[in-house]
Amino acid sequence: MLMSKFNFISMKVKSLFFLFFFLNLKIVAQENLLSLLNEKNETKYASYIFKGTKIVNGQSVEITSENELKFNIQHRFGPINSGFYNLYGLDYAKVRFSFDYGVNSWLAVGIGRSSVSKTIDGNVKIKLKRQAKGVNNFPLTIVLNSASYLKQYTSEDKKKSSFLFTDQLIYSHQILIARKVNRDFSVQISPTFIHYNLLDKTYRKSNDNISIGFGCRYKITNRVSVNAETFPQIYNSINDNVLSFGFDIETGGHVFQLHLSNSAAMIEPIFITETNSDFFNGNIYFGFNISRVFTIKN
Amino acid sequence: MVRQIIRVLLMIFCLEANAQQFIGKEGVITFFSEAPIENIQAFNKKVGAVYNASTSELVFSVKIKDFIFKKKLMQEHFNENYLESDIYPKSTFIGHIIELKENGYAKVKGKLNIHGITNNIIAEGTLNVNKSKAVIKAKFRLNLEDYNIKIPKIVIYNIAEVIDVDVEIQLYKYEG
Repeated sequence: MLMSKFNFISMKVKSLFFLFFFLNLKIVAQENLLSLLNEKNETKYASYIFKGTKIVNGQSVEITSENELKFNIQHRFGPINSGFYNLYGLDYAKVRFSFDYGVNSWLAVGIGRSSVSKTIDGNVKIKLKRQAKGVNNFPLTIVLNSASYLKQYTSEDKKKSSFLFTDQLIYSHQILIARKVNRDFSVQISPTFIHYNLLDKTYRKSNDNISIGFGCRYKITNRVSVNAETFPQIYNSINDNVLSFGFDIETGGHVFQLHLSNSAAMIEPIFITETNSDFFNGNIYFGFNISRVFTIKN
Repeated sequence: MVRQIIRVLLMIFCLEANAQQFIGKEGVITFFSEAPIENIQAFNKKVGAVYNASTSELVFSVKIKDFIFKKKLMQEHFNENYLESDIYPKSTFIGHIIELKENGYAKVKGKLNIHGITNNIIAEGTLNVNKSKAVIKAKFRLNLEDYNIKIPKIVIYNIAEVIDVDVEIQLYKYEG
């Protein structure tokens, strides 16, 4: 009898316990509802590693977005130390016009034309791998960039017996490897191979040139970043190494880039192997890029 | 005997709690900003929501990075400068249906979290539930200032300070 009474009480306690248990469940239910929406196998890709498709002069791992056509106008002025007579270099403007098009999410192509040594260039950028956390964990973003350059020639050049069309061609191939360290700071290493079909002894010892480029950016605010870039030549160099600094400023719909560099060229073979001025002696060129983006398809 | 009754009651309670849950992961949120220079529109087709009919609880979860803009540069600025999706990757809503009429008219009240800031909001829309499916539609307006989303003066004519938000989602019975 006593035993059964005890049992009855214990059961009451149990049921109370259950009731509390359910009350409790109700309180946490809303949080649980949210947890029903959590995905387990998520991959978080690092995006916006750099603001532009170029760090300063050299290519960054960013490629033009799918179905977008970008028209760039790049300006480089004369050396800042050329005095007031030349308005500190602003009297001499060199220009490069280019179009970049994003074919899909991993492929972009571009064509351009520089007034420096009158060169036409075309390039292909292929995104191989993206920095990601989660299921497809990978620490780096890797992009291939391949470009060909054609130095323009006149009909008089063509009449010379030594003229060969293939002599006007230059190639550059790059593996761009970048990491977004945190939301403000990104770094990139750009091993670069450049091949000149024509060996011009004033600029180089051999047709082949190798350089390992370094670049980085730091975001000062959400809209302004400071970029730095250099391409030390590690093989057969007889010229100075290029060193450049840049500001990326977002003004609503565009990125406006301001540069200081010891090269006035805007294409890889020339600014990497033909730079002939010392940054620290004031042989610095000021320049800027503006671009306009057109969306081709919806 | 009493024990059995309690057990049965608990079981019913339990079953009901599970049986009335609806879940959807392919809802659509569209937002629209109308400003003098530029109209901005974006959509997100991966909106998740859960509705518990027995408790009238309703939750939404949206990944900021899944918003698609026609102009990719706009999308970049949306993520990088305005919503800061690397710090605040998700926006959530936790609330209750506070009014539900026969014709489907519904009023919902709850806490909306965007850009790390939570505000109480009330929104009106429709909720139509049948045996296997629930369809939710709602429209409301958001003031960007309430969520500490700052617009620089230079683009003040490009971005409206009040944004129209449109939500539409189908939820299916969840057998948990």
